[in-house]
Amino acid sequence: MTPGDHLLEALQERAKELSTIYRVNEACKSPQSSLDEIFRSVVQILPAGWQFPETCFARILVDGTAYGPAGADATPWRQSAEIRVQGESSGWLEVFYRDERPEADEGPFLKEERKLLDTVAERLGQVLLERRLLDALQGRPDAAQANEPGSEWRVIVDFLRQTDPRSLVRISRRMINYLCWNGVAAAQDLLPHFAGGREALAADDNRPAPRRSAESLLGVADEAFRLASSHLTSAEIRSCIQKWIRDDKADFLLRAAENPGTSTTELAQALARFHDSHLDDRRLSRTVQVELRVSLARRFLTDDLEFVDVAKDFIDTGDFHDLVRRVISPPKSYGRLGGKASGLLLASKIVQKSTEFADALGDVRIPKTWHLTSDGILDFIEFNQLEDLYDRKYLEIDQVRREYPHVIQVFKNSHFSPEIVKGLSLALDDFGDRPLIVRSSSLLEDRVGASFSGKYKSLFLANQGPKADRLSALLDAIAEVYASVFGPDPLEYRAERGLLDVHEEMGILLQEVVGNRVGKYFLPTFAGVAFSNNEFRWSPRIAREDGLVRLVPGLGTRAVDRVGDDYPILVAPGQPGLRVNVTPADVVRYAPRRIDVIDLESGTFETMDLDRLLEECGAEIPGIEQVLSVADESGLHRPYFLDWTSKKGRFVPTFEPLLESTTFLGRMRALLRLLREKTHGPVDIEFASDGKDLYLLQCRPQSFAEESAAAPIPSDLSGDRVIFEAKRFVSNGRVPDLTHVVYVDPEAYAALPDATSLLRVGQAVGRLNKTLPKRRFVLMGPGRWGSRGDLKLGVPVTYSDINNAAALIEVARRRGGYVPDLSFGTHFFQDLVEASIRYLPLFPDDPEIRFREAFLRESPSVLAEFAPEFRDLEAVVRVIDVPKVTGGSILKLLLNADEDHAVAILAPPDPGPGSAVRSSRSAVRRRTSG
Amino acid sequence: MKGSFNAFEMAQAQFDKSADILALDAPTRDLLRWPLREFHFAIPVRMDDGKVKVFRGFRVQHNDARGPSKGGIRFHPQETVDTVRALSMWMTWKCAVVDIPLGGAKGGVICDPHNLSAREQEAICRGWVRQVAKNVGPAIDVPAPDVMTTPQHMVWMMDEWEVIHGHRGPGFITGKPVGMGGSLGRTEATGYGAMYTLREALKKMGIDVAKTKASVQGFGNVAQYAIQLYTKMGGTVVAVSSWDQADQTSYTFRRESGVDGAELKTITDPFGGIDKAKAKALGYEVKAGGDWIAEDVDILIPAALENQVTGETARRIGKRVKVVVEGANGPTTPEADAILKERGIFVIPDFLANAGGVTCSYFEQVQCNMNFYWTQEEVLTKLDAKMTKAFHDVADLAASRKLYMRDAAYVIAVSRVAKASRDRGWV
Repeated sequence: MTPGDHLLEALQERAKELSTIYRVNEACKSPQSSLDEIFRSVVQILPAGWQFPETCFARILVDGTAYGPAGADATPWRQSAEIRVQGESSGWLEVFYRDERPEADEGPFLKEERKLLDTVAERLGQVLLERRLLDALQGRPDAAQANEPGSEWRVIVDFLRQTDPRSLVRISRRMINYLCWNGVAAAQDLLPHFAGGREALAADDNRPAPRRSAESLLGVADEAFRLASSHLTSAEIRSCIQKWIRDDKADFLLRAAENPGTSTTELAQALARFHDSHLDDRRLSRTVQVELRVSLARRFLTDDLEFVDVAKDFIDTGDFHDLVRRVISPPKSYGRLGGKASGLLLASKIVQKSTEFADALGDVRIPKTWHLTSDGILDFIEFNQLEDLYDRKYLEIDQVRREYPHVIQVFKNSHFSPEIVKGLSLALDDFGDRPLIVRSSSLLEDRVGASFSGKYKSLFLANQGPKADRLSALLDAIAEVYASVFGPDPLEYRAERGLLDVHEEMGILLQEVVGNRVGKYFLPTFAGVAFSNNEFRWSPRIAREDGLVRLVPGLGTRAVDRVGDDYPILVAPGQPGLRVNVTPADVVRYAPRRIDVIDLESGTFETMDLDRLLEECGAEIPGIEQVLSVADESGLHRPYFLDWTSKKGRFVPTFEPLLESTTFLGRMRALLRLLREKTHGPVDIEFASDGKDLYLLQCRPQSFAEESAAAPIPSDLSGDRVIFEAKRFVSNGRVPDLTHVVYVDPEAYAALPDATSLLRVGQAVGRLNKTLPKRRFVLMGPGRWGSRGDLKLGVPVTYSDINNAAALIEVARRRGGYVPDLSFGTHFFQDLVEASIRYLPLFPDDPEIRFREAFLRESPSVLAEFAPEFRDLEAVVRVIDVPKVTGGSILKLLLNADEDHAVAILAPPDPGPGSAVRSSRSAVRRRTSG
Repeated sequence: MKGSFNAFEMAQAQFDKSADILALDAPTRDLLRWPLREFHFAIPVRMDDGKVKVFRGFRVQHNDARGPSKGGIRFHPQETVDTVRALSMWMTWKCAVVDIPLGGAKGGVICDPHNLSAREQEAICRGWVRQVAKNVGPAIDVPAPDVMTTPQHMVWMMDEWEVIHGHRGPGFITGKPVGMGGSLGRTEATGYGAMYTLREALKKMGIDVAKTKASVQGFGNVAQYAIQLYTKMGGTVVAVSSWDQADQTSYTFRRESGVDGAELKTITDPFGGIDKAKAKALGYEVKAGGDWIAEDVDILIPAALENQVTGETARRIGKRVKVVVEGANGPTTPEADAILKERGIFVIPDFLANAGGVTCSYFEQVQCNMNFYWTQEEVLTKLDAKMTKAFHDVADLAASRKLYMRDAAYVIAVSRVAKASRDRGWV
């Protein structure tokens, strides 16, 4: 290890040293400063990095000049390092204690201080070299030799010849190529000199090619530049040489990144060296720059070509350097960061570096994040000899389910290797006692078509108390997230998709939780998720591209998960005026009532009543006035100020002030548009606000969310496989195995004589909802399901009468001159959304679509079997047992919003592991999207 | 479609029944079977995207012989004029049964507020007023909120009317927020009104309210205030059923020592759902939602949805039950009605029992016209007087003509309107 290689380790030693190195680097980087100024400031900076700063001083001796505090004389307690330039000694860096201090590793000095000193000395050596080279380039007098105009490049060539002949040879080679491309015939004659003896080999296979002496190659170099000077302008030569020198300097990094055998630590060191050499990949030639970025992206992030293609424009080498400073990995790691981490990194760089929408977007922040590489889990398994676990994934899923609790316990009682523990400890120092979220970032998540949304755990940590406790809680949480790889839901999901044989590697994302301490709780003021494509449109005026935002007060878990008994606020950023709930009563009903927070005292994640939290400490929540309206006798108001003492009315989180009077929706619109444009596809993001700033927490392609993936529509729809079809207002999704169709015949329904009969139809549907196989039947009926006013307009049902259906279909038949409006599920829209019940409007009179009315009206009905007491409604409510009627087929409902096309087709049942309809909504508490 | 269900035809049939009892003459029947006036108009609205969309609006004034007509404005995507006609007729009877000097009307716009931004809804409200400004007003026809319309809509409409007429006139419309011409006591009015009629019924039947027990269906606004007042009068509510949104079913909460409405309110969500676990902790027994009707009580108060007391459920009604107070709209089906009649259970029909709401609207209008607003106590005292008198009028008629309470209420309402029309010399 050279002293320079110590840099990364030193960086990771202690915050004090880190800060010293940082400040030294800052001082050295300043291009305006003279060498004198740099040395003087370094001397001032250094003592703070030593154990006893009050008695410490530093001195630099270079070229016979000493830099140091006035009147400071050498003492016996001295530590020194040589400053070397190109292998030659150029001076000394010294640190002294004025008086005696306890004995340590090296006299009174620590071994970490030795590393620090060596690192700084190396850095000063680099500064000296750079300055000398710069002086040469700029033709300063002390750069010796020729200073006639236009001949700076000669100085560089000479300088290289003396200091780095290998580099000069490589540059000459590129110059010859360059000349050849420019049609300089003479240059071609020089090519064989670099060919590594290919002609020689051709001449005699058995004789080794003669080794070309460095001398002779340098001769070729001279020839090359002689040719160049007669064909190219000086400026052109100089610019070429400068670019190539930089490329050449970057070469080590490129080789490290491209070599699959480079470990994460080694690559991190290479990145640090690149960074410390003040290289910026934007100044490299385009090819080298792209190659470098692509290699790094593939090494750290993903092989996915589309992702890399976007990433190379936004994530530069410097970003990777910043990133690896917060990457923890096993000693010989070749792991990546995983899908979630990659998505967030890319999104954050897009937001930072794009100029489009910058005004609308404002300052979007990213919470501080550390990463544990994906092979950390392999290291963990190996360290604890848990390899037998790999076999468990082939067990019957029920057995997996039974044994999973034991797996968790085994994981929690296992240990992490010391390198990981050390890395995590460092991360904790960096985070302080901010609450943390431990998120999984799996490699399989990268794969298109495989969404592990919600399958793996994410855990919140209060991160309070003594460091040892915090560390042990963190290790515990990571072990639990690791265990979730072997959980039944992900395994079942992988089995269904043929991903079982791949070793799942899982990166870990450690993120500080956005928010504030409020009373004994920690929470963001609000958080949520947003989608580029709105797959749950509650009005025909909302276009798919208008997007969707799900907002909740507190932690975003309740917006990510469908919690069933509570509702987020839904807004379409492109149509902010059209709200799901219109009357004050509905707004109050469908407003969030509970809130997820971290209880800092008990150290737990809690779901509590919003009212209780507001009563306890509502006034302390920053920005809460953007969230709340007041409901009282005369309706819902936006108060000008929140009166926390008043007992009249109660607070309702409508988010009206935020949506109406702030730039929030505009920012969301800009964010969604920017990310959609740059990543060439719709995205799905998570965000949070501490009441002041907006933070981006996650970003991934929207199609990764299973529920909103477009179902491919088969190209062959011939014959009578199609039962019905829709080409308007189609959202995405699929219901693969419908066994029953409940069809309320529109004409028979309209012909019912009285209100009682109409109501009975609703009751019959409610009955069927309880007796038909759950989530395997579709409800089709005229007009507006759940009509509350005029019963003729639609079957009067409440949500409880339809909550087990897989899909709800409204049939709009032309009546006289017009086609009636449909409800778009508005009567229980939010309930449909939270239960993922598909909604589809059908317009059978549209000549472009197929609607096999005969199948629905004439197939034998099994109503009497499932709802005998409603036998008399046989002509109105028809229940079709699809397999029975079709000889074993089932009905597949495929919805594809991209093509605005949906079909219900008869198909043989899918083979495969049992019924794939097992609900995976077994909501694990404390889980975000996985 | 022939023979199919039509709300207006149903309202006419109901009127015919009362007209037969009263032996009304042909011209009076002709007059009252149909609305006096109907306005159908277009409301062009410039939408948020700059395009103009034309909405259809209505105002149907069924009868104003007894005073300015009164009735709500509905925003409904599939509004039909027949629905509006039926509802305007029911408003005439409702105002007449509580003997307030108002006629009946109803209006609406064919639109779905779910598809409209707030600004577009405001434009529709103002457009509606512009089209009928000359034919509505504190002394002509007084609108109010209804399906999908809110106090905010009422304030926009009031503002437009005042701008057109060049003066303030908060009596033009009711259902406004308190402080903008709204009346205190509105929240309590329906539930309290129902209990005033119950008190009078018990008095008439010679039953001491303090010795009665009641079971209530629903725990919404009406039920909560009904429980409050009934308890204050000395009665004991032993069971209340409420809808549980999470479980998508209802439960009955029972406590023999008595249900404490205020206590339950603290553990109730906005759907009117009561927290089961907390209720158990408070000593409530949690039973199936339908069990409320089978309680061993003297009084049943269905105060949730329509069609809850059916032929099937009515058979579960306990032996001890003497009175049914219809706090909800149309909670009893005709089959159930027959059972109640047969068992001799005294029914306080919906449009009498829940007329407290419209009475309070009338008070709002009165206060607006005076530009002087009463305290809540004054409003409720006046409400008590109105409801008490209305009850006795109906009950006395039922007794003297041996009519079922529901029929008696209709008959008295129709007779009052018929009389006013005759007194004016219309028929």
